[in-house]
Formats: sequence, structure tokens, C-alpha cells
Amino acid sequence: MTFKNLFIEHERSKEEQDWVEEELAEQGQRFEKIEQNMRDLAPERARWYEEFFDRLSIRGFNADGDQKVKIKREDLPVKPEGQEDRVVWKYGTESDETEK
Amino acid sequence: MARPHIEPFVDRDIAFKNMLLPGFGRGMSYKILSMDNETGACTMTVQLAGGYSQVPGFSWSEWEMIVIEGELQLDGRTVRKGHYFYVPAGYAMPAVSSEKGALLLMMYNTGEPSLVEATDHHALCQTNLYHDVDTYLDITWAPGNIVKPSVASGVMIKLLNYNPISHAMTFLYCMTPAFYQDNISYHDCAEESYHLWGTSWMMQFGDVPTGGYFWRPAYINHGAFASEFGCIALGRVDSKLYNHFHYNPWSTPVQNQKRAAARVYQRDPLLYRWMVSYSHNHPHGPEDFEQTVQLRGKDYPNNEPATDGHQHSHWHTHEHHHDDDHDQ
Repeated sequence: MTFKNLFIEHERSKEEQDWVEEELAEQGQRFEKIEQNMRDLAPERARWYEEFFDRLSIRGFNADGDQKVKIKREDLPVKPEGQEDRVVWKYGTESDETEK
Repeated sequence: MARPHIEPFVDRDIAFKNMLLPGFGRGMSYKILSMDNETGACTMTVQLAGGYSQVPGFSWSEWEMIVIEGELQLDGRTVRKGHYFYVPAGYAMPAVSSEKGALLLMMYNTGEPSLVEATDHHALCQTNLYHDVDTYLDITWAPGNIVKPSVASGVMIKLLNYNPISHAMTFLYCMTPAFYQDNISYHDCAEESYHLWGTSWMMQFGDVPTGGYFWRPAYINHGAFASEFGCIALGRVDSKLYNHFHYNPWSTPVQNQKRAAARVYQRDPLLYRWMVSYSHNHPHGPEDFEQTVQLRGKDYPNNEPATDGHQHSHWHTHEHHHDDDHDQ
């Protein structure tokens, strides 16, 4: 991650390797649980999207800081037909099947 | 390939585990929040039992830490909640202890947690980068509009660390009570956050309470945003933070990335054209001459200044003669 990204080369011991693998396995399970929780949240989220669109058209979209722009109802987006409401993407763009 | 998208996650939902990696001693327990599946770099909440002590030593990885609760003793001083450390790889920290125990957020940036007993820094350590500060008492809140387009009023930040090359940042941020911001955002960088206190809400993920955490890869939608009673959190980005705001909740990461590239094309067409043509697609980027230019070095001949640093020999003395013949 951040900053100078300096990593001093060294050999990872078997003990450290085992520890990393165990934690990664747990992380995999944690991710699956999060993904399921977010699928389960979809009906409530659909209501939040509609409330968001109402606020955009009545009170405005935060274009930059406190600068608000009211969005006409006809300019609000439509959910693509057949597309799942997905909010979790394991590796970001790499997990997205959309044509790159 | 890097860390997966962990959002939302609350560390209160899992139990601490004893740290058994060598060097850390007894009385340290942890919860992994996210981990890079190649390097082992990770973020974790750490609990130190009362009476914990740790030998002096360095890590192979650079790391950061903020005290969430409790106290630490090191180097003849006591640090308390809100104290932040940035520790370069190979930097030998003094012995650390906690008389009454402590809760910490620790971030190992480039490798798995490691502690090699040592009182001297590693020869490769960039020791000048080390710093620590009491973020609660010794840094004041600043408006959150450090980038444009910016967040709405009501977000305040304290910058803790900044990389002038990558523009990566570590910062505290807070949302004031009744904060809201009606847009959807994504960034060209990964983003991480841990809620030290309080609850915020995002339209995709719901409430993130105290102990709430996310690691979010680039180009993933998040927002609208709100916080009913306020919150304070530690945030990080791994490169330049740019807010791509929009209001389409169904755009995907690839669509968001294409939009970001389209905006580069619209804003910097000459640069964009150069980057996508003539095979200028090296994965590590083109050469930056400031990083590769040959420098004079210590043994360069006649390297002392020849002037006092106040001379501009290109300036012409302003001689004004009243009897000159002027054309005008």
C-alpha cells in the first residue's frame, strides 16, 4: 500500500507462510459472508436508491462540495434490464465481466 | 492480486486471536481486517494485555499505528489514544510496553507483520521518514475540501502522512452530526477506513458503526453518504485521491474506470494521445527524469558556489539620462 513502499527483501519462514495462508483462508470466508449480506440488503437498498433520486430532483445533487444541482426526473438513470444490483466486487475491475 | 473488497466489516463481530508470530511476545492478540494475498500486507486491530512488553526491533515492512484506547510506554514517555506512528521498513523501534493495556490499529503496508530484535536500524532503512504525533491534541481539524471536486461541508480532516510522489495519504476524518452528501463517488485508488468512534451510512452498504471497516479497491461506487450523530475514523488512500462524482448506482467498476479515462482524454488530450500511442504502455509507467537523472554527487569537481547567491548578471543596470533623445 502506501508511501515509499519500501520492502526489505527477506525470506518468509514456514511459520510466517502458514500464518499468512491461514489468515487468507479466513478472509476468503469473510468475503463470501459479506457478499451474501450485501445481496440480502438489495431490497432495502432499492428503496434507498429511490429516496436518493427523490432528493436529487427536489434538493439537488452535490456536484462539488455544497454546490447542488437539481436533476430533472427525466434525467435520472434507469436500471439496466437483467442486471443484478451488485455493490461488492472482490478485486474491483478484475472481478467485473463488463467488456474492458 | 492485492487485497479483496472487504466492505462492510465490523471487527466487533469476530474474536481476538493470540499473536503467535515470532518476536511479538505474549499478551498480544489481533483481528485481521484485510490482507494482501501476495505480500501478506495487512491491517489489524490489536489488543495488548496489561503488562505487555516487546523487545526493541524493526519490521521488514513499513507500518503505521494509531492508539485507539489505553496507553503505551516507549522511549521514556507515555502515548495515549489518538497517537499515530509512521515507521519505515527497517526502523528499529525502542522497547514498547503497556502497563494497563491498549487497543491499537496496526497497518503493515508491504509485508506480513514481523519484528526482528535489534537496536540499530537496518542499513536500507529510510530513517528520515519516521514520525509520530498526538493526532488528537497536536493537530487541528481542517476543512475536508483538500481536493476538487470536494466533499460537502461537515467533513473535517487531519492529515497524518503524505507521499509526495504517489499522493497516497493517511488521515483522520470526522463527519459532523446530521452530515449528508447526495452523490455517488469512486476513486482511481484503493481506499481504507476504520471507524474509531461513531456511525456513518453509505447507500450501498448501510451503517458502518464503531469498529466498522472497509478496504475498497479502485472504481467501486460508494455513496450517498450520511452520519446522523457524527463519527471519527482513520482513512487511507494508496495513490492520488480524486472524487469522480455521479448519480448512477448501477455503473460497474469497468464502466467507472472507462469514464475516468474518458475524463483524462477530455481534459488532457495531448497527454492521453501520447500515452495510448507508440506503445507507451510499460506497466511501471514511463521514465520520470527527476528519478533517473545523473546527479553531481559529493565528488563533483569545483562544486562550491561561485557567487553569493544574490547575483542576476542578466539584469541590466537602469541608467536614466535626462538628456537622452527619446523616440517617444
